[in-house]
Amino acid sequence: MPAKPVVKRLPARRGLFAGFKGNVDAITIGLKYLVDPKRFTLIYPNEYIKLDPGYRGFIVLDPKKCIHCSSCARICPAAAMRMIKRMEEDPKTGKPKMKLWPVINYQRCIFCGYCVDVCPTEALYTVPYHDIVYENMAEMDWSLETFVKPPEHPTAKEGIPVKYIVDEEKGLVKVRAEEVEEK
Amino acid sequence: MAGIIDLILSIIFYPPIYQLVLVGLTGALVVVIFIIWFERKATARVQRRLGPYHISPRLAGLPQLVADLIRYAFQEVIIPKTVDKELFVLAPIVATVLSILPIAVVPLTSNPAYWPIPMDYSMLVALALTTVSPIFLIVAGWASNNKFSIIGGVREAFVITAYELIAIMSILSASAAVLSFNLVEIVEAQRVWYILLNPIAFLAAFLAVLMATSGFPFEIPESENEVVAGPFTEYSGLLYGLNMGAAYMKRFAFSILMALVFLGGWSPYTPGEGILSGYLIPSLIVVAKATVLMMIFSLTRSIYGRFRLDQALEGAWRLVFPMAVLGFGLALLEAYLGVM
Repeated sequence: MPAKPVVKRLPARRGLFAGFKGNVDAITIGLKYLVDPKRFTLIYPNEYIKLDPGYRGFIVLDPKKCIHCSSCARICPAAAMRMIKRMEEDPKTGKPKMKLWPVINYQRCIFCGYCVDVCPTEALYTVPYHDIVYENMAEMDWSLETFVKPPEHPTAKEGIPVKYIVDEEKGLVKVRAEEVEEK
Repeated sequence: MAGIIDLILSIIFYPPIYQLVLVGLTGALVVVIFIIWFERKATARVQRRLGPYHISPRLAGLPQLVADLIRYAFQEVIIPKTVDKELFVLAPIVATVLSILPIAVVPLTSNPAYWPIPMDYSMLVALALTTVSPIFLIVAGWASNNKFSIIGGVREAFVITAYELIAIMSILSASAAVLSFNLVEIVEAQRVWYILLNPIAFLAAFLAVLMATSGFPFEIPESENEVVAGPFTEYSGLLYGLNMGAAYMKRFAFSILMALVFLGGWSPYTPGEGILSGYLIPSLIVVAKATVLMMIFSLTRSIYGRFRLDQALEGAWRLVFPMAVLGFGLALLEAYLGVM
């Protein structure tokens, strides 16, 4: 059965001054924002967003808690975590003993946080920042000595910590991190 | 010593040199730097952004355009093999020069010693000179030998035909009200500013100048997401910068003309004798009024969206052209009643 022809009609032409109110409204809103701009640009190197503690930033190892179980290296989906062998003195017997330690390669890491989740003794933890720049690729492959202490956060030295909150009237608002923490 | 200073002053303030070089080129450059900064900042405020910032945060990013200009100036000028070389290079230069030329014929003072030309038909001359530069934009599009450029040139022709007529008609309504083409007489006749006597003509002229000089939301000939850069697609470096500058220069020339015709020119001030009181101060007042007008022009950038070509032309012929005719009729009525 052929489709029924449908007569399409052009929408009726509006009058000459139909758009007048819309124009006035647009100009009013424009002038309102011009006088009172509610801007929220992050001026990045001078300000930075202070992230919450649960944020999946860089991963750091607490060597006192590590039980050398290799779970983190097994679960890592990007094969960023691997175990290296170290000869260390056993505190009980005083003899040298082979131990496995995790190290991380940030060329590969996807910051999924599985290693932190799977760690049975919570020896791995994340720091709430991720804006660190490396000059070459080799620096991103961390050694055990780098892995056991939190990395330096250069933005925090110069910048002001800010946070974004949702305001009922203004929408997204940028405020200093201390003000949010006080509330 | 005093004689040398007088000589230098008389050369600088020789009306054609002063108006073309100091007001026309230098003044326009300074005003355009300020206006583009204002445009970016105002748009950023409306859109809840910051605008230019990192080049001198203390000056709120004011030298940003200077940095852009330096970049344009040192960029390589690429001339494609397929273009018509002479026209390709000449068109933007001629367009820029012609767009600044109306400033050289308008009076910036009522003192006859400082008029660049005899003033009897100065309004006609100035309006005629504003209509020449768009031809060279079309020439630039044609010489580029590129489909985007030709489409852009044709769009330019459509928009200019529609809107320059309206701009000229609504500015001419002032001369109908005063029964004179003499710009000085028109300025002197405004005991009340003409914008208050004939707001319809002012609104029509405002819209028409906005469209004809292709300011940002109304840059139908060179809209980036339809035709790459319109007539300027093949241009690069300094020639592209000239093309972009020509639109602002033309807007500045139109603003000065509108400041004279609608905003009372040097109105609160009465020019006296001598260079300072007779020429410098009144001309600065006119430039300041033109700058305010250009600031209002650039505010529309943050408020309006872009029109399609057919919408712009329909608006011109159905709304703004009748408005201009109405304004002209109002001017004739005022002339009949002897208001001005």
